Amino acid sequence: MKRPGWRRAVLSVLMIALALLIGSPLYYVLVNTFKSLGEMTLSPLALPSHWSLDNYAKALADGSMARSFANTFYVTAIAVVLQLLIGSMASYAMIMRSSRLNRALANLFLVGFVIPTQSTLIPLYLTMVNLRVVDTLNGLILMYMGGSVFSYFLIQGYMRTLPFDIIEAARVDGAGSFQTFWHIVLPLIKPILITVGVFQGMFVWNDFLVPNVMVSSKENRTVVLQVYAAVGQFTTDWPLFMTITVIALVPMVVFFVLMQKRIVSGLLAGSIKG
Amino acid sequence: MAVKSSVRAPRLSARGPSRGWKQVAANQAFLLPAVAAFIFMFVIPLAQSFYWSLTDFTGYDPNPNFVGLANYKLILADKSMLSGLAFTIMFAVGTTVVVTALAIPLAVQLNKAFWGRGFARSLWFFPAIPSAAILGMVWRYILSPLESGALNTVLKTFGTGPVPWLSNSRLAQLCVIGVGVWCATGWHAVLYTAYLQSIPAEYYEVARIDGASSLQQFFTITLPLLSPAIVVSTFLLMTGGLKVFDLPFTLTNGGPGFSTYTITHSLVQFGVGQGRYGISSALAVLFTITVTAVAFGQLRLTRIMERHFG
Repeated sequence: MKRPGWRRAVLSVLMIALALLIGSPLYYVLVNTFKSLGEMTLSPLALPSHWSLDNYAKALADGSMARSFANTFYVTAIAVVLQLLIGSMASYAMIMRSSRLNRALANLFLVGFVIPTQSTLIPLYLTMVNLRVVDTLNGLILMYMGGSVFSYFLIQGYMRTLPFDIIEAARVDGAGSFQTFWHIVLPLIKPILITVGVFQGMFVWNDFLVPNVMVSSKENRTVVLQVYAAVGQFTTDWPLFMTITVIALVPMVVFFVLMQKRIVSGLLAGSIKG
Repeated sequence: MAVKSSVRAPRLSARGPSRGWKQVAANQAFLLPAVAAFIFMFVIPLAQSFYWSLTDFTGYDPNPNFVGLANYKLILADKSMLSGLAFTIMFAVGTTVVVTALAIPLAVQLNKAFWGRGFARSLWFFPAIPSAAILGMVWRYILSPLESGALNTVLKTFGTGPVPWLSNSRLAQLCVIGVGVWCATGWHAVLYTAYLQSIPAEYYEVARIDGASSLQQFFTITLPLLSPAIVVSTFLLMTGGLKVFDLPFTLTNGGPGFSTYTITHSLVQFGVGQGRYGISSALAVLFTITVTAVAFGQLRLTRIMERHFG
């Protein structure tokens, strides 16, 4: 693959220019968080005349932003851990015993793999109302339990590639089902747990549809709902809204930089199975 | 006995039904949480949706009246639902076509060695990471039809505008699709890159020796060998597009009028907003059938592809 130096240089310039164009909306948002409303209106695209953190102080002042982060973190962490636990337990049982019943169940689970959130949203919402968990964080977590079936599919695919002898050796040593699962199987499937966890974690963290239906009170807002509320509240104070957006995006940027490879492999795994 | 044979032929004995009932029960117990999640999250709600779609259920009356297919007829006559349906299909097809047309050439370029490739790839990929709802709100400011909107300010320096981006129906539809394309192109390019890397370099060398131009190489080698990736990618775009809600909801809130309304928007509006569960459920049933049909269509297509290229 030899290509002349100048062609590579041209490609570099073109591709970077194009990428910057794609990234420009993010620049626009970021740069305006350091300006006052007046300065933003006059020169929305220029760098700020002086870098002010006033908007950040204002956005964080009442603590609602911090609270929404804590809420989202709580919901995402618990929902994903439960999904992974339920999914890997089911995978383990299916691998260990392939009876006719289990094969039929595995086929039935396909339904849960294909059906979108929208199909079950309204009845589940009513169920949550009847269980009196609507507008609670734990109710929100319950709404994401359908994701266990999705996690099961990704995890069992990986589990089938494992050497079975290791699990059997544990059996021979007299380990019970649960001990084998906890001490042997879970450590072995760690790579897929991280991949699926990243994938599902992004989904829950970013979700708007379910929280928008389920959460109505201020103190239970997730980050996305908090930003959505800010649009309505600060319709005229654009820099303040931009700042809230940037604060909401910061964890995503950090997560992206740290986990880019995992995200890509997670998205590929999720897409190819789906 | 079971232990002995399991050492020699682990797979067979482990899968056979010959183990004691205690062990079987212990094993099956691991399935219980998943079965419970499946029943409560899928079986019961799907059954409820189907039943309610044939009634005038409002959420309170425990014995709703059976109304046959009236709800389905209502859907097909309601203006907001029909435009929701029309725009959802327009969005799904539009993003599928445009993203595919952009992502494949982009992947080919991103697969070449050039300075700053990692940076370019990350910038393209990043819009797929944050919530589409938040990105929709950001674009709402950028595409503001006011003279002070970000894009209109840029246009002003070139002496044109202001363009009524989100206040004109047709333009608003194009804007929503455009932002959807912006969000998805980079990540689909990454998907294609993964497949591109599995194409052996010798194919291209042979083609070059035979004097094939790079355009010919693209159409005779790259594109056919990418077809499994195209199936995966377009399927994701189609199903994702049919499910779209966040982006138009935060970018245009379905407007102006109902021009960027979506199926999910109507579903939430009728169900949670107005408590008309019968209509909402009928919509959910139709939606489920459509998405499932697309999913199984994709599955069949993948099988055919595998026979041809596998």
